[in-house]
Amino acid sequence: MIWLALKTLIHEKGRLFITLMGITFSTILVLTQVGIYLGMMGYATAIIRHTDADIWIASKNIQNFDFALPFPEERINRVSAIPDVLWAERLVLTWGFLKLTDGGQEQVQIVGYNPDTGIGAPWSMLVGSPSDVKGGRYMIIDKTSEQRLGRLEIGTVWELNEKRFKLVGLSKGIKSFTTSPVIFMSYNHAQNVYGMVGAEQTSYIVAKLKDKRKIREVVRDLNATMKDNDVFTREGFIFKTVMYWTVQTGLGMGFFLTAILALAIGGAIVGQTIYANTMEHLKEFGTLKALGARNEDIYKVIFSQAGINAGIGYLVGSIFILFARGSIERAGVPLYLSPGIFFTLFFIMILTCLLSAYFSVRRIKTLDPVMVFRG
Amino acid sequence: MERILEVKDITKVYQEGNIRVVAVDSVSLTLNRGEVLLIMGPSGSGKSTLLSMMGCILRPTQGEVIINGQVVSDLSEDTLPYIRRQYIGFSFQSFNLFPSLTASENVEVVLRLKGLNKKRPRQKALNLLEKVGLGERVDFYPRDLSGGEKQRVTFARALAGDPSIILADEPTANLDSKTGREVLGLLKDLAVESAKAVAIVSHDPKAEALAHRIVFLEDGRIK
Ligand SMILES: Nc1ncnc2c1ncn2[C@@H]1O[C@H](COP(=O)(O)OP(=O)(O)OP(=O)(O)O)[C@@H](O)[C@H]1O
Ligand SMILES: [Mg+2]
Repeated sequence: MIWLALKTLIHEKGRLFITLMGITFSTILVLTQVGIYLGMMGYATAIIRHTDADIWIASKNIQNFDFALPFPEERINRVSAIPDVLWAERLVLTWGFLKLTDGGQEQVQIVGYNPDTGIGAPWSMLVGSPSDVKGGRYMIIDKTSEQRLGRLEIGTVWELNEKRFKLVGLSKGIKSFTTSPVIFMSYNHAQNVYGMVGAEQTSYIVAKLKDKRKIREVVRDLNATMKDNDVFTREGFIFKTVMYWTVQTGLGMGFFLTAILALAIGGAIVGQTIYANTMEHLKEFGTLKALGARNEDIYKVIFSQAGINAGIGYLVGSIFILFARGSIERAGVPLYLSPGIFFTLFFIMILTCLLSAYFSVRRIKTLDPVMVFRG
Repeated sequence: MERILEVKDITKVYQEGNIRVVAVDSVSLTLNRGEVLLIMGPSGSGKSTLLSMMGCILRPTQGEVIINGQVVSDLSEDTLPYIRRQYIGFSFQSFNLFPSLTASENVEVVLRLKGLNKKRPRQKALNLLEKVGLGERVDFYPRDLSGGEKQRVTFARALAGDPSIILADEPTANLDSKTGREVLGLLKDLAVESAKAVAIVSHDPKAEALAHRIVFLEDGRIK
Protein backbone atom coordinates (compact mmCIF):
# COMPACT_ATOMS: atom_id res chain seq x y z
CA MET A 1 0.00 0.00 0.00
CA ILE A 2 3.07 2.22 0.01
CA TRP A 3 2.31 2.38 -3.68
CA LEU A 4 -1.00 4.10 -3.02
CA ALA A 5 0.61 6.45 -0.52
CA LEU A 6 3.17 7.54 -3.10
CA LYS A 7 0.58 7.99 -5.83
CA THR A 8 -1.65 10.19 -3.72
CA LEU A 9 1.27 12.25 -2.45
CA ILE A 10 2.62 12.88 -5.92
CA HIS A 11 -0.84 13.76 -7.16
CA GLU A 12 -0.85 16.86 -4.99
CA LYS A 13 2.51 18.30 -5.86
CA GLY A 14 1.89 21.72 -4.34
CA ARG A 15 1.07 20.31 -0.96
CA LEU A 16 3.90 17.81 -1.19
CA PHE A 17 6.35 20.58 -2.01
CA ILE A 18 5.27 22.78 0.90
CA THR A 19 5.38 19.87 3.32
CA LEU A 20 8.82 18.84 2.16
CA MET A 21 10.03 22.42 2.50
CA GLY A 22 8.77 22.48 6.05
CA ILE A 23 10.45 19.25 7.00
CA THR A 24 13.65 20.22 5.26
CA PHE A 25 13.70 23.45 7.22
CA SER A 26 12.96 21.65 10.45
CA THR A 27 15.70 19.10 9.70
CA ILE A 28 18.25 21.83 9.05
CA LEU A 29 17.33 23.50 12.30
CA VAL A 30 17.49 20.29 14.30
CA LEU A 31 20.79 19.20 12.76
CA THR A 32 22.50 22.56 13.28
CA GLN A 33 21.29 22.86 16.85
CA VAL A 34 22.37 19.36 17.78
CA GLY A 35 25.57 19.73 15.76
CA ILE A 36 26.53 23.03 17.35
CA TYR A 37 25.70 21.77 20.82
CA LEU A 38 27.78 18.64 20.34
CA GLY A 39 30.53 20.68 18.71
CA MET A 40 30.66 23.03 21.67
CA MET A 41 30.61 20.18 24.14
CA GLY A 42 33.34 18.57 22.08
CA TYR A 43 35.51 21.64 22.49
CA ALA A 44 34.61 21.95 26.18
CA THR A 45 35.88 18.44 26.82
CA ALA A 46 38.52 18.18 24.11
CA ILE A 47 41.56 18.22 26.38
CA ILE A 48 40.03 15.72 28.81
CA ARG A 49 39.11 13.40 25.97
CA HIS A 50 42.47 13.65 24.26
CA THR A 51 44.55 13.16 27.37
CA ASP A 52 45.40 9.55 28.04
CA ALA A 53 44.51 9.67 31.74
CA ASP A 54 41.98 7.65 33.73
CA ILE A 55 41.77 10.05 36.67
CA TRP A 56 41.49 13.82 36.93
CA ILE A 57 42.25 15.60 40.18
CA ALA A 58 41.18 19.22 40.39
CA SER A 59 40.69 21.93 42.96
CA LYS A 60 37.79 21.52 45.37
CA ASN A 61 34.30 22.28 44.01
CA ILE A 62 35.43 22.70 40.43
CA GLN A 63 32.52 23.43 38.10
CA ASN A 64 33.97 22.56 34.76
CA PHE A 65 37.24 22.01 32.96
CA ASP A 66 37.85 25.64 32.08
CA PHE A 67 37.50 26.97 35.61
CA ALA A 68 40.40 25.29 37.38
CA LEU A 69 41.94 26.82 40.51
CA PRO A 70 45.56 26.16 41.46
CA PHE A 71 46.60 23.83 44.27
CA PRO A 72 50.01 22.60 45.49
CA GLU A 73 51.70 20.44 42.92
CA GLU A 74 53.47 18.31 45.52
CA ARG A 75 50.18 16.46 46.05
CA ILE A 76 51.18 14.49 43.01
CA ASN A 77 53.33 12.41 45.34
CA ARG A 78 50.26 11.11 47.12
CA VAL A 79 48.88 9.99 43.80
CA SER A 80 52.08 8.40 42.56
CA ALA A 81 52.40 6.55 45.86
CA ILE A 82 49.31 4.50 45.14
CA PRO A 83 50.42 1.11 43.88
CA ASP A 84 47.65 0.92 41.28
CA VAL A 85 48.80 4.14 39.61
CA LEU A 86 50.95 3.63 36.55
CA TRP A 87 51.91 7.28 36.25
CA ALA A 88 50.76 10.68 37.45
CA GLU A 89 51.36 14.00 35.76
CA ARG A 90 50.64 17.67 36.31
CA LEU A 91 48.81 19.96 33.95
CA VAL A 92 48.36 23.71 34.08
CA LEU A 93 45.31 25.42 32.72
CA THR A 94 45.25 29.18 32.96
CA TRP A 95 44.45 32.37 31.13
CA GLY A 96 46.49 35.21 29.77
CA PHE A 97 46.51 38.15 27.40
CA LEU A 98 48.34 37.98 24.12
CA LYS A 99 49.41 41.24 22.54
CA LEU A 100 48.53 41.44 18.90
CA THR A 101 50.60 43.05 16.16
CA ASP A 102 47.99 45.76 15.73
CA GLY A 103 48.42 46.71 19.38
CA GLY A 104 45.25 45.06 20.62
CA GLN A 105 44.97 42.21 23.08
CA GLU A 106 43.24 38.89 23.03
CA GLN A 107 42.44 36.67 25.96
CA VAL A 108 43.91 33.22 25.52
CA GLN A 109 43.64 29.89 27.26
CA ILE A 110 47.01 28.47 28.26
CA VAL A 111 47.74 24.78 28.65
CA GLY A 112 51.04 23.90 30.30
CA TYR A 113 52.22 20.31 29.94
CA ASN A 114 55.33 18.31 30.51
CA PRO A 115 57.02 18.09 27.11
CA ASP A 116 58.99 15.05 28.20
CA THR A 117 55.92 12.91 28.73
CA GLY A 118 53.61 14.78 26.35
CA ILE A 119 50.66 14.28 28.72
CA GLY A 120 48.17 17.07 27.90
CA ALA A 121 50.08 18.08 24.78
CA PRO A 122 48.32 19.13 21.57
CA TRP A 123 47.15 15.95 19.86
CA SER A 124 47.00 17.19 16.34
CA MET A 125 49.86 19.17 14.85
CA LEU A 126 50.07 21.10 11.63
CA VAL A 127 53.62 22.38 12.02
CA GLY A 128 56.23 21.27 14.54
CA SER A 129 55.88 18.76 17.34
CA PRO A 130 54.65 18.95 20.96
CA SER A 131 58.19 18.49 22.28
CA ASP A 132 59.29 21.72 20.57
CA VAL A 133 58.12 23.78 23.55
CA LYS A 134 60.86 22.25 25.69
CA GLY A 135 63.56 24.35 27.31
CA GLY A 136 62.44 27.91 26.73
CA ARG A 137 59.69 30.42 26.18
CA TYR A 138 58.21 28.56 23.29
CA MET A 139 54.58 28.11 22.43
CA ILE A 140 52.23 26.29 20.09
CA ILE A 141 49.09 28.10 18.94
CA ASP A 142 46.20 26.60 17.09
CA LYS A 143 45.90 27.39 13.43
CA THR A 144 42.19 28.23 13.78
CA SER A 145 43.17 31.10 16.11
CA GLU A 146 44.41 33.05 13.10
CA GLN A 147 40.89 34.46 12.82
CA ARG A 148 41.42 36.15 16.16
CA LEU A 149 45.15 36.68 16.31
CA GLY A 150 46.12 37.39 12.72
CA ARG A 151 48.72 35.49 10.74
CA LEU A 152 50.65 32.93 12.73
CA GLU A 153 54.17 32.49 11.43
CA ILE A 154 56.61 30.04 12.93
CA GLY A 155 59.52 31.81 14.56
CA THR A 156 57.67 35.03 15.34
CA VAL A 157 57.83 36.32 18.89
CA TRP A 158 54.66 37.33 20.75
CA GLU A 159 54.09 39.06 24.01
CA LEU A 160 52.03 37.07 26.49
CA ASN A 161 51.37 38.78 29.80
CA GLU A 162 54.38 40.98 29.15
CA LYS A 163 56.66 38.03 28.61
CA ARG A 164 57.98 37.19 25.19
CA PHE A 165 57.19 33.78 23.71
CA LYS A 166 58.36 32.35 20.42
CA LEU A 167 55.88 30.53 18.20
CA VAL A 168 57.38 27.10 17.45
CA GLY A 169 54.41 25.08 16.27
CA LEU A 170 50.84 25.12 15.03
CA SER A 171 48.22 22.72 16.21
CA LYS A 172 45.17 21.79 14.19
CA GLY A 173 41.51 22.15 15.17
CA ILE A 174 42.02 22.63 18.91
CA LYS A 175 39.59 25.15 20.30
CA SER A 176 38.32 25.96 23.74
CA PHE A 177 34.69 26.12 24.65
CA THR A 178 35.05 29.80 25.41
CA THR A 179 36.28 30.36 21.83
CA SER A 180 39.46 31.89 23.25
CA PRO A 181 42.55 30.81 21.31
CA VAL A 182 44.41 27.91 22.94
CA ILE A 183 48.14 28.21 23.53
CA PHE A 184 50.27 25.27 24.55
CA MET A 185 53.59 25.64 26.36
CA SER A 186 55.77 23.78 28.80
CA TYR A 187 54.47 23.22 32.30
CA ASN A 188 57.13 25.35 34.00
CA HIS A 189 56.52 28.39 31.88
CA ALA A 190 52.77 28.12 32.18
CA GLN A 191 53.11 28.14 35.96
CA ASN A 192 54.83 31.48 35.84
CA VAL A 193 53.30 33.19 32.89
CA TYR A 194 50.87 35.25 34.90
CA GLY A 195 51.22 34.45 38.50
CA MET A 196 47.71 33.16 38.56
CA VAL A 197 48.96 29.64 39.03
CA GLY A 198 52.33 30.32 40.56
CA ALA A 199 55.42 28.29 41.19
CA GLU A 200 54.85 24.92 42.83
CA GLN A 201 51.17 25.12 41.96
CA THR A 202 49.26 23.11 39.43
CA SER A 203 45.73 23.16 37.98
CA TYR A 204 45.31 19.44 37.48
CA ILE A 205 46.91 16.19 38.40
CA VAL A 206 46.08 13.44 35.98
CA ALA A 207 46.87 9.77 36.43
CA LYS A 208 46.81 6.53 34.54
CA LEU A 209 46.05 3.23 36.25
CA LYS A 210 47.81 -0.06 35.76
CA ASP A 211 44.45 -1.76 35.75
CA LYS A 212 41.47 0.32 34.77
CA ARG A 213 39.11 -2.04 36.54
CA LYS A 214 40.39 -0.70 39.87
CA ILE A 215 39.25 2.82 39.03
CA ARG A 216 36.37 2.96 41.49
CA GLU A 217 38.53 1.94 44.41
CA VAL A 218 41.32 4.34 43.51
CA VAL A 219 38.96 7.28 43.07
CA ARG A 220 37.32 6.49 46.39
CA ASP A 221 40.67 6.23 48.17
CA LEU A 222 41.91 9.47 46.60
CA ASN A 223 38.73 11.31 47.52
CA ALA A 224 39.18 10.11 51.07
CA THR A 225 42.81 11.19 51.39
CA MET A 226 42.74 14.38 49.29
CA LYS A 227 40.15 16.39 51.18
CA ASP A 228 41.07 19.63 49.48
CA ASN A 229 40.60 18.27 45.98
CA ASP A 230 37.91 16.78 43.79
CA VAL A 231 38.80 13.50 42.16
CA PHE A 232 37.02 12.36 39.01
CA THR A 233 37.18 9.52 36.59
CA ARG A 234 37.79 10.78 33.10
CA GLU A 235 34.16 10.10 32.16
CA GLY A 236 32.98 11.70 35.37
CA PHE A 237 34.89 14.87 34.60
CA ILE A 238 33.57 14.97 31.04
CA PHE A 239 30.06 14.54 32.41
CA LYS A 240 30.57 17.26 35.01
CA THR A 241 31.80 19.69 32.37
CA VAL A 242 29.03 18.88 29.92
CA MET A 243 26.39 19.17 32.61
CA TYR A 244 27.79 22.51 33.69
CA TRP A 245 27.41 24.04 30.26
CA THR A 246 24.17 22.25 29.52
CA VAL A 247 22.20 22.56 32.73
CA GLN A 248 23.85 24.99 35.12
CA THR A 249 24.42 27.71 32.55
CA GLY A 250 21.28 26.78 30.62
CA LEU A 251 23.26 27.19 27.46
CA GLY A 252 22.87 23.63 26.24
CA MET A 253 19.23 23.67 27.23
CA GLY A 254 18.69 26.52 24.83
CA PHE A 255 20.01 24.38 22.03
CA PHE A 256 17.92 21.43 23.09
CA LEU A 257 14.81 23.53 23.32
CA THR A 258 15.32 24.93 19.86
CA ALA A 259 16.01 21.46 18.50
CA ILE A 260 12.92 20.02 20.13
CA LEU A 261 10.85 22.94 18.92
CA ALA A 262 12.15 22.44 15.40
CA LEU A 263 11.32 18.77 15.66
CA ALA A 264 7.84 19.58 16.90
CA ILE A 265 7.34 21.98 14.01
CA GLY A 266 8.41 19.27 11.57
CA GLY A 267 6.04 16.84 13.23
CA ALA A 268 3.23 19.37 13.22
CA ILE A 269 3.70 20.13 9.54
CA VAL A 270 3.54 16.47 8.62
CA GLY A 271 0.71 15.80 11.03
CA GLN A 272 -1.32 18.67 9.66
CA THR A 273 -0.68 17.72 6.03
CA ILE A 274 -1.52 14.10 6.63
CA TYR A 275 -4.62 15.09 8.55
CA ALA A 276 -5.83 17.39 5.80
CA ASN A 277 -5.04 14.67 3.28
CA THR A 278 -6.92 12.06 5.24
CA MET A 279 -9.96 14.24 5.74
CA GLU A 280 -10.08 15.10 2.06
CA HIS A 281 -9.73 11.49 1.06
CA LEU A 282 -12.02 10.06 3.70
CA LYS A 283 -14.47 8.93 1.06
CA GLU A 284 -11.72 7.09 -0.76
CA PHE A 285 -10.62 5.39 2.41
CA GLY A 286 -14.24 4.41 3.01
CA THR A 287 -14.32 3.01 -0.50
CA LEU A 288 -11.16 1.06 0.24
CA LYS A 289 -12.84 -0.41 3.29
CA ALA A 290 -15.92 -1.35 1.30
CA LEU A 291 -13.65 -3.00 -1.23
CA GLY A 292 -12.14 -5.15 1.48
CA ALA A 293 -9.34 -3.11 3.01
CA ARG A 294 -8.64 -3.76 6.64
CA ASN A 295 -8.01 -0.81 8.94
CA GLU A 296 -4.35 -1.83 8.99
CA ASP A 297 -4.16 -1.51 5.21
CA ILE A 298 -5.30 2.09 5.46
CA TYR A 299 -3.09 2.81 8.45
CA LYS A 300 -0.23 1.65 6.31
CA VAL A 301 -1.15 4.13 3.59
CA ILE A 302 -1.34 7.01 6.05
CA PHE A 303 1.82 6.11 7.93
CA SER A 304 3.63 5.61 4.66
CA GLN A 305 2.64 9.11 3.60
CA ALA A 306 4.02 10.50 6.84
CA GLY A 307 7.16 8.39 6.54
CA ILE A 308 7.77 9.34 2.93
CA ASN A 309 7.36 13.04 3.72
CA ALA A 310 9.63 12.82 6.73
CA GLY A 311 12.21 10.70 4.93
CA ILE A 312 12.53 12.86 1.85
CA GLY A 313 12.47 16.11 3.83
CA TYR A 314 15.14 14.80 6.16
CA LEU A 315 17.27 13.66 3.27
CA VAL A 316 17.12 17.03 1.56
CA GLY A 317 17.86 18.82 4.84
CA SER A 318 20.81 16.54 5.54
CA ILE A 319 22.26 17.04 2.10
CA PHE A 320 21.96 20.78 2.56
CA ILE A 321 23.80 20.56 5.88
CA LEU A 322 26.52 18.39 4.38
CA PHE A 323 27.13 21.00 1.71
CA ALA A 324 26.88 23.96 4.06
CA ARG A 325 28.98 22.32 6.74
CA GLY A 326 32.29 23.66 5.46
CA SER A 327 31.09 27.24 5.39
CA ILE A 328 29.51 26.96 8.82
CA GLU A 329 32.73 25.66 10.32
CA ARG A 330 34.82 28.24 8.52
CA ALA A 331 32.65 30.87 10.11
CA GLY A 332 33.92 29.58 13.43
CA VAL A 333 30.78 27.74 14.45
CA PRO A 334 31.57 24.30 15.80
CA LEU A 335 29.46 21.64 14.19
CA TYR A 336 29.83 18.05 15.20
CA LEU A 337 27.77 15.64 13.10
CA SER A 338 28.72 12.01 12.74
CA PRO A 339 26.89 9.38 10.67
CA GLY A 340 25.53 8.07 13.96
CA ILE A 341 23.93 11.43 14.69
CA PHE A 342 22.45 11.65 11.22
CA PHE A 343 20.92 8.21 11.67
CA THR A 344 19.68 8.84 15.19
CA LEU A 345 18.03 12.11 14.23
CA PHE A 346 16.59 10.43 11.15
CA PHE A 347 14.81 7.91 13.31
CA ILE A 348 13.66 10.57 15.72
CA MET A 349 12.29 12.64 12.83
CA ILE A 350 10.48 9.65 11.31
CA LEU A 351 9.10 8.68 14.68
CA THR A 352 7.86 12.21 15.35
CA CYS A 353 6.11 12.30 11.99
CA LEU A 354 4.58 8.86 12.43
CA LEU A 355 3.30 9.90 15.84
CA SER A 356 1.79 13.03 14.37
CA ALA A 357 0.04 10.90 11.74
CA TYR A 358 -1.56 8.95 14.55
CA PHE A 359 -4.35 11.52 14.82
CA SER A 360 -5.36 10.83 11.26
CA VAL A 361 -5.25 7.12 11.78
CA ARG A 362 -7.64 7.33 14.69
CA ARG A 363 -10.24 8.80 12.38
CA ILE A 364 -10.00 5.75 10.11
CA LYS A 365 -10.87 3.32 12.86
CA THR A 366 -14.36 4.74 13.19
CA LEU A 367 -14.83 5.24 9.48
CA ASP A 368 -17.90 3.33 8.38
CA PRO A 369 -17.57 1.88 4.88
CA VAL A 370 -21.31 2.17 4.37
CA MET A 371 -20.69 5.88 3.72
CA VAL A 372 -19.93 4.94 0.12
CA PHE A 373 -23.64 4.61 -0.47
CA ARG A 374 -24.40 8.12 0.57
CA GLY A 375 -23.92 10.35 -2.42
CA MET B 1 -28.42 -22.94 -10.28
CA GLU B 2 -25.88 -22.61 -7.51
CA ARG B 3 -26.89 -20.39 -4.67
CA ILE B 4 -24.06 -18.07 -3.60
CA LEU B 5 -25.78 -15.53 -1.39
CA GLU B 6 -28.80 -15.78 0.79
CA VAL B 7 -30.52 -13.16 2.87
CA LYS B 8 -32.77 -14.51 5.59
CA ASP B 9 -35.36 -12.31 7.12
CA ILE B 10 -33.11 -9.29 7.53
CA THR B 11 -34.12 -6.04 9.11
CA LYS B 12 -32.24 -2.80 9.43
CA VAL B 13 -33.40 -0.22 11.92
CA TYR B 14 -31.78 3.20 12.01
CA GLN B 15 -32.17 4.89 15.31
CA GLU B 16 -31.47 8.58 15.22
CA GLY B 17 -32.44 10.16 18.50
CA ASN B 18 -36.11 9.51 19.00
CA ILE B 19 -36.69 8.74 15.37
CA ARG B 20 -36.64 5.10 14.43
CA VAL B 21 -36.44 4.27 10.74
CA VAL B 22 -37.01 0.72 9.62
CA ALA B 23 -35.04 0.94 6.36
CA VAL B 24 -35.25 -2.77 5.56
CA ASP B 25 -38.00 -4.86 7.06
CA SER B 26 -37.81 -8.67 7.17
CA VAL B 27 -36.44 -9.19 3.69
CA SER B 28 -35.46 -12.62 2.42
CA LEU B 29 -33.98 -13.35 -0.97
CA THR B 30 -31.40 -15.48 -2.72
CA LEU B 31 -28.81 -14.78 -5.35
CA ASN B 32 -27.53 -17.44 -7.72
CA ARG B 33 -24.49 -17.71 -9.94
CA GLY B 34 -24.99 -16.63 -13.51
CA GLU B 35 -28.01 -14.59 -12.60
CA VAL B 36 -28.89 -10.90 -12.63
CA LEU B 37 -31.19 -9.84 -9.83
CA LEU B 38 -32.79 -6.45 -10.12
CA ILE B 39 -33.83 -4.64 -6.98
CA MET B 40 -36.33 -1.89 -7.69
CA GLY B 41 -38.32 0.49 -5.60
CA PRO B 42 -39.00 4.15 -4.95
CA SER B 43 -36.45 6.44 -3.37
CA GLY B 44 -35.98 5.74 0.31
CA SER B 45 -37.44 2.24 0.06
CA GLY B 46 -34.23 0.68 1.45
CA LYS B 47 -32.50 -0.56 -1.72
CA SER B 48 -29.03 0.74 -0.88
CA THR B 49 -29.39 -0.40 2.70
CA LEU B 50 -30.25 -3.89 1.53
CA LEU B 51 -27.34 -3.94 -0.92
CA SER B 52 -24.92 -2.79 1.82
CA MET B 53 -26.00 -5.64 4.03
CA MET B 54 -25.62 -8.12 1.16
CA GLY B 55 -22.09 -6.76 0.63
CA CYS B 56 -21.16 -7.05 4.30
CA ILE B 57 -20.51 -3.37 4.84
CA LEU B 58 -23.57 -2.93 6.99
CA ARG B 59 -24.65 -5.18 9.79
CA PRO B 60 -28.34 -6.11 9.87
CA THR B 61 -30.25 -5.36 13.04
CA GLN B 62 -31.85 -8.76 12.69
CA GLY B 63 -31.62 -11.73 10.37
CA GLU B 64 -28.79 -13.48 8.58
CA VAL B 65 -26.66 -12.98 5.51
CA ILE B 66 -25.20 -16.22 4.23
CA ILE B 67 -22.45 -16.28 1.64
CA ASN B 68 -21.32 -19.55 0.14
CA GLY B 69 -22.97 -21.43 3.00
CA GLN B 70 -21.33 -19.37 5.74
CA VAL B 71 -23.25 -17.03 8.01
CA VAL B 72 -21.35 -13.77 7.64
CA SER B 73 -23.69 -11.30 9.31
CA ASP B 74 -22.34 -12.04 12.76
CA LEU B 75 -18.65 -12.14 11.88
CA SER B 76 -16.34 -9.74 13.66
CA GLU B 77 -15.21 -6.42 12.19
CA ASP B 78 -11.76 -7.95 11.70
CA THR B 79 -12.99 -10.84 9.62
CA LEU B 80 -15.42 -8.98 7.38
CA PRO B 81 -12.74 -7.40 5.16
CA TYR B 82 -11.63 -10.88 4.13
CA ILE B 83 -15.19 -11.83 3.17
CA ARG B 84 -15.55 -8.65 1.14
CA ARG B 85 -12.28 -9.28 -0.64
CA GLN B 86 -13.03 -12.84 -1.45
CA TYR B 87 -16.65 -12.68 -2.54
CA ILE B 88 -17.82 -9.17 -3.23
CA GLY B 89 -17.26 -6.70 -6.03
CA PHE B 90 -18.93 -3.33 -5.57
CA SER B 91 -19.93 -0.72 -8.08
CA PHE B 92 -21.13 2.50 -6.50
CA GLN B 93 -23.67 4.98 -7.72
CA SER B 94 -21.24 7.85 -7.27
CA PHE B 95 -18.38 5.79 -8.73
CA ASN B 96 -16.03 6.50 -5.82
CA LEU B 97 -12.95 6.36 -7.99
CA PHE B 98 -9.63 7.62 -6.69
CA PRO B 99 -8.98 10.96 -8.37
CA SER B 100 -5.23 10.60 -7.94
CA LEU B 101 -5.13 7.27 -9.74
CA THR B 102 -5.54 6.52 -13.42
CA ALA B 103 -8.21 4.14 -14.66
CA SER B 104 -5.83 1.20 -14.58
CA GLU B 105 -4.43 2.20 -11.20
CA ASN B 106 -7.97 2.39 -9.83
CA VAL B 107 -8.34 -1.25 -10.75
CA GLU B 108 -4.84 -2.08 -9.63
CA VAL B 109 -5.46 -0.78 -6.14
CA VAL B 110 -8.07 -3.48 -5.56
CA LEU B 111 -5.79 -6.15 -6.99
CA ARG B 112 -3.07 -5.03 -4.62
CA LEU B 113 -5.53 -4.91 -1.76
CA LYS B 114 -6.44 -8.49 -2.47
CA GLY B 115 -2.79 -9.45 -2.45
CA LEU B 116 -2.68 -9.99 -6.18
CA ASN B 117 0.17 -7.58 -6.72
CA LYS B 118 2.77 -10.28 -7.07
CA LYS B 119 2.00 -11.14 -10.63
CA ARG B 120 1.85 -8.08 -12.84
CA PRO B 121 -1.12 -6.17 -11.44
CA ARG B 122 -0.97 -3.65 -14.25
CA GLN B 123 -1.39 -6.30 -16.92
CA LYS B 124 -4.35 -7.73 -15.05
CA ALA B 125 -5.89 -4.30 -14.70
CA LEU B 126 -5.47 -3.67 -18.41
CA ASN B 127 -7.17 -6.95 -19.21
CA LEU B 128 -10.10 -6.05 -17.02
CA LEU B 129 -10.43 -2.61 -18.58
CA GLU B 130 -10.27 -4.24 -21.99
CA LYS B 131 -13.11 -6.48 -20.94
CA VAL B 132 -15.33 -3.54 -20.05
CA GLY B 133 -14.43 -1.79 -23.28
CA LEU B 134 -12.05 0.80 -21.87
CA GLY B 135 -8.85 -0.46 -23.45
CA GLU B 136 -8.17 2.95 -24.95
CA ARG B 137 -8.51 4.94 -21.76
CA VAL B 138 -6.35 3.04 -19.30
CA ASP B 139 -4.07 5.94 -18.39
CA PHE B 140 -6.79 8.56 -18.08
CA TYR B 141 -7.53 10.09 -14.74
CA PRO B 142 -11.18 9.95 -13.61
CA ARG B 143 -11.64 13.69 -14.24
CA ASP B 144 -10.91 13.07 -17.93
CA LEU B 145 -13.40 10.22 -18.26
CA SER B 146 -17.06 10.51 -19.17
CA GLY B 147 -19.76 9.21 -16.82
CA GLY B 148 -20.15 6.01 -18.79
CA GLU B 149 -16.42 5.46 -18.85
CA LYS B 150 -16.17 6.00 -15.10
CA GLN B 151 -18.99 3.53 -14.62
CA ARG B 152 -17.04 1.00 -16.67
CA VAL B 153 -13.97 1.55 -14.51
CA THR B 154 -16.07 0.77 -11.44
CA PHE B 155 -17.14 -2.48 -13.12
CA ALA B 156 -13.55 -3.38 -13.92
CA ARG B 157 -12.69 -2.60 -10.31
CA ALA B 158 -15.61 -4.70 -9.07
CA LEU B 159 -14.35 -7.58 -11.18
CA ALA B 160 -10.77 -7.30 -9.91
CA GLY B 161 -9.76 -10.32 -7.95
CA ASP B 162 -12.55 -12.33 -9.50
CA PRO B 163 -15.27 -12.17 -6.81
CA SER B 164 -18.37 -14.34 -7.17
CA ILE B 165 -20.84 -11.58 -6.39
CA ILE B 166 -21.15 -8.21 -8.11
CA LEU B 167 -23.31 -5.61 -6.36
CA ALA B 168 -24.09 -2.52 -8.41
CA ASP B 169 -25.94 0.48 -6.99
CA GLU B 170 -27.75 2.54 -9.64
CA PRO B 171 -25.29 1.73 -12.41
CA THR B 172 -27.23 3.76 -14.97
CA ALA B 173 -28.30 6.73 -12.89
CA ASN B 174 -25.57 9.00 -14.24
CA LEU B 175 -25.70 7.82 -17.81
CA ASP B 176 -27.68 8.69 -20.92
CA SER B 177 -30.02 6.00 -22.08
CA LYS B 178 -27.76 4.59 -24.80
CA THR B 179 -24.75 4.30 -22.53
CA GLY B 180 -27.00 3.00 -19.80
CA ARG B 181 -28.17 0.20 -22.04
CA GLU B 182 -24.59 -0.71 -22.98
CA VAL B 183 -23.49 -0.75 -19.38
CA LEU B 184 -26.40 -2.95 -18.33
CA GLY B 185 -25.72 -5.28 -21.21
CA LEU B 186 -22.14 -5.51 -20.07
CA LEU B 187 -23.23 -6.52 -16.56
CA LYS B 188 -25.51 -9.20 -17.92
CA ASP B 189 -22.77 -10.59 -20.15
CA LEU B 190 -20.44 -10.76 -17.19
CA ALA B 191 -23.00 -12.65 -15.16
CA VAL B 192 -23.68 -15.15 -17.87
CA GLU B 193 -20.15 -15.61 -19.17
CA SER B 194 -18.25 -15.72 -15.89
CA ALA B 195 -21.06 -17.27 -13.88
CA LYS B 196 -21.13 -14.42 -11.42
CA ALA B 197 -24.10 -13.47 -9.31
CA VAL B 198 -25.10 -9.89 -10.07
CA ALA B 199 -27.46 -7.76 -8.03
CA ILE B 200 -28.40 -4.39 -9.47
CA VAL B 201 -30.25 -1.64 -7.69
CA SER B 202 -32.02 0.54 -10.20
CA HIS B 203 -35.06 2.63 -11.00
CA ASP B 204 -34.27 2.24 -14.65
CA PRO B 205 -37.02 0.52 -16.72
CA LYS B 206 -34.31 -0.58 -19.18
CA ALA B 207 -32.90 -2.83 -16.45
CA GLU B 208 -36.14 -4.79 -16.27
CA ALA B 209 -35.63 -6.22 -19.71
CA LEU B 210 -32.34 -7.88 -18.92
CA ALA B 211 -32.87 -9.02 -15.34
CA HIS B 212 -33.49 -12.67 -14.65
CA ARG B 213 -35.43 -11.78 -11.57
CA ILE B 214 -36.87 -8.61 -10.12
CA VAL B 215 -37.78 -7.76 -6.54
CA PHE B 216 -39.71 -4.64 -5.62
CA LEU B 217 -39.06 -2.91 -2.36
CA GLU B 218 -41.49 -0.54 -0.72
CA ASP B 219 -40.97 0.89 2.75
CA GLY B 220 -38.28 -1.70 3.32
CA ARG B 221 -40.47 -4.66 2.45
CA ILE B 222 -40.59 -6.87 -0.61
CA LYS B 223 -43.85 -6.43 -2.45
N1 LIG C 1 -27.40 6.13 8.24
C1 LIG C 1 -28.70 6.33 8.27
N2 LIG C 1 -29.28 6.82 9.37
C2 LIG C 1 -30.61 6.98 9.43
N3 LIG C 1 -31.45 6.72 8.42
C3 LIG C 1 -30.94 6.21 7.29
C4 LIG C 1 -29.52 6.01 7.15
N4 LIG C 1 -29.31 5.51 5.91
C5 LIG C 1 -30.51 5.43 5.32
N5 LIG C 1 -31.48 5.85 6.13
C6 LIG C 1 -32.92 5.87 5.83
O1 LIG C 1 -33.31 4.57 5.48
C7 LIG C 1 -34.24 4.59 4.42
C8 LIG C 1 -33.72 3.76 3.26
O2 LIG C 1 -32.57 4.40 2.73
P1 LIG C 1 -31.82 3.81 1.43
O3 LIG C 1 -30.69 4.69 1.18
O4 LIG C 1 -31.55 2.39 1.65
O5 LIG C 1 -32.92 3.99 0.33
P2 LIG C 1 -32.81 3.81 -1.26
O6 LIG C 1 -33.91 2.90 -1.64
O7 LIG C 1 -31.44 3.40 -1.61
O8 LIG C 1 -33.09 5.27 -1.76
P3 LIG C 1 -32.53 5.99 -3.10
O9 LIG C 1 -33.28 5.38 -4.24
O10 LIG C 1 -32.91 7.41 -2.89
O11 LIG C 1 -31.07 5.76 -3.14
C9 LIG C 1 -34.43 6.05 4.08
O12 LIG C 1 -35.60 6.49 4.71
C10 LIG C 1 -33.24 6.73 4.64
O13 LIG C 1 -33.54 8.05 5.04
MG1 LIG D 1 -29.82 4.29 -2.74
